[in-house]
Amino acid sequence: MLARFEIVKLSRSKRPLLAAFSLALFLALMLFGFYTYAQKETGGQAEFRYTLENRSYFNGLTFSLYAFYFGFVLILPIFAATEAGAQMAGETHSRTLQLLLARPLSRGRLFVTKVAVAAAYLAALVAAFLGVTLVVGLLAVGWGDLDLYPGVLQMTEQHQFLPQSEALQRFALAWPAATLGLFATLSLGFLLSTWIRSPVNAVGLAVSVYLVLYVISQIHFFQDLRPLLFTSHLTYWRGLFQETVPWSGILPDAAKLAAFSALFLGLAFRRFRTREEL
Amino acid sequence: MMERIAQAKKLGRSFGRQDALRSIDFELRSGEILALVGSNGSGKTTLLKILAGLLRPSWGSVQVFGLDPFRQRARVMAQARFAFAPPPLYDNLTAREHLLMLGGISSNGSPRPCKQDVDRALATVGLSARADDRSSTYSFGMRQRLALAQALVPLPRLLVLDEPTDGLDPLAVLELRAVLERLRSEHQVTVLLSSHLLIEVESLVDRMLVLEQGRVLFDGAPAELRSGKSVLSLRVDDPVRALQALAQRGLSPTAAADGTLELPSGSANLIETCRLLGAEGLELLEFHQRTPTLERALLQRIREARRDTGIPPSNRGADRLDNPPAKES
Repeated sequence: MLARFEIVKLSRSKRPLLAAFSLALFLALMLFGFYTYAQKETGGQAEFRYTLENRSYFNGLTFSLYAFYFGFVLILPIFAATEAGAQMAGETHSRTLQLLLARPLSRGRLFVTKVAVAAAYLAALVAAFLGVTLVVGLLAVGWGDLDLYPGVLQMTEQHQFLPQSEALQRFALAWPAATLGLFATLSLGFLLSTWIRSPVNAVGLAVSVYLVLYVISQIHFFQDLRPLLFTSHLTYWRGLFQETVPWSGILPDAAKLAAFSALFLGLAFRRFRTREEL
Repeated sequence: MMERIAQAKKLGRSFGRQDALRSIDFELRSGEILALVGSNGSGKTTLLKILAGLLRPSWGSVQVFGLDPFRQRARVMAQARFAFAPPPLYDNLTAREHLLMLGGISSNGSPRPCKQDVDRALATVGLSARADDRSSTYSFGMRQRLALAQALVPLPRLLVLDEPTDGLDPLAVLELRAVLERLRSEHQVTVLLSSHLLIEVESLVDRMLVLEQGRVLFDGAPAELRSGKSVLSLRVDDPVRALQALAQRGLSPTAAADGTLELPSGSANLIETCRLLGAEGLELLEFHQRTPTLERALLQRIREARRDTGIPPSNRGADRLDNPPAKES
């Protein structure tokens, strides 16, 4: 019943609608970026729309992968932090948490339910975003096989080729893998929002911490710090798009992300269990 | 013998260097309707939050149903229900959804509240007509009613209401009184409510616990607060001379704003006072026995307490209670 209550509250809030609108806008901008790049920057070597007659570099799967990658790094963490902030700091700030605590519910049950509902929402959001990028890729760019070349996105260090059906299976695998990455950000959001009672401040701090750590994990100078930062492992799911999936690299990264999530949530619960509601 | 529902012993709570509660002792017994009364900053909300398990005591002890409310909150809440002020509600949910959802998570193994239970609670607080509107469209008074309704599903053994009369019109206050009486008589619900509106509290409760600066100022029936506070009001032809004459006889007259003199009831015999004034050549034109309102009696207690503790008379919440109308009898 508590889970149902949390789902009803989430569905009635503006957060899913806001997320959908933001992701749609982001996809439109990505599409525009691909279009202008293909038309103006490649000197005619690539065409926007993939056709059987012209097997150019860009196609719907490439678009989907790149759009999903950028969305994963730039947009989805904001929604993960926002959801955590709304679940914990938001309810604290509006004092509705007191309404729940004035019921025969343990703090543990309340915390676990909130995390579970937020994680399920995040998984649904990732799935929806991934699905929409594929559909938009198909409709606006057209499908073919997935060709990846070494480049600025570091998707691969050498040319990779995946037939269309294989690539779609890899996208399906990317969904839970990416959700796990975002779950670490969600967990960080929960940790911060058990300390900070203002939802705006909690979300702002979570996003800031994520961005700073992400940038640090990308700078070569800080390579010694990388194992200590959860952001170093977030995009581990890119390995799924190599011809031979490097499971020996992917699984440890997934385990580290799960461990970071457990650490963040453990600390968050420790704080939530003992804190007072002023 | 009535069962003990809640008990505090030497209960204190500080926030930094500020003591919100200093040393509170009180008991709440089953079937009672107890009012927690005090001005802003007196410690009412802190005490309610400690009882709700939202805050820990800094010292002393508190028990609700024999349990520590902070450490055993869930078990306490299986039998108690709180309605905080201002009412925290989910703006995107309707009144009916509030009751169904919150009632559902409160059933704790027992059958979930059914539609009839929800309808009954909504009817009790007069919200049936707006039951399916989102609470964001409600007035403050309607939010208060919904806060009360959610606390009635399922019916608790202890009902704690924080400022329940705030935002209610006089008719709604009368209805609230009837609801509380019915809860007690038909369902043996014990009620603890906080308020600073003494007129309403007086008619609602059996007992009052008056807090002032974190201390218990008074614990007893409302009528007891008034007792000993009545005055003998005298109108004489020359108040200045009468004041001097009465003072010289060891009495403690005070001059009221309308020119009458007031003597604490019991400090002087009316016949002797008449004789004394006559001996001075003064004429007694009128006299009354004035019984103070509950507010005036409480205000007097607060002033006495502040005088005793040396608290300066500025920026005090209790000043809202100043200048209430006197009741004559």
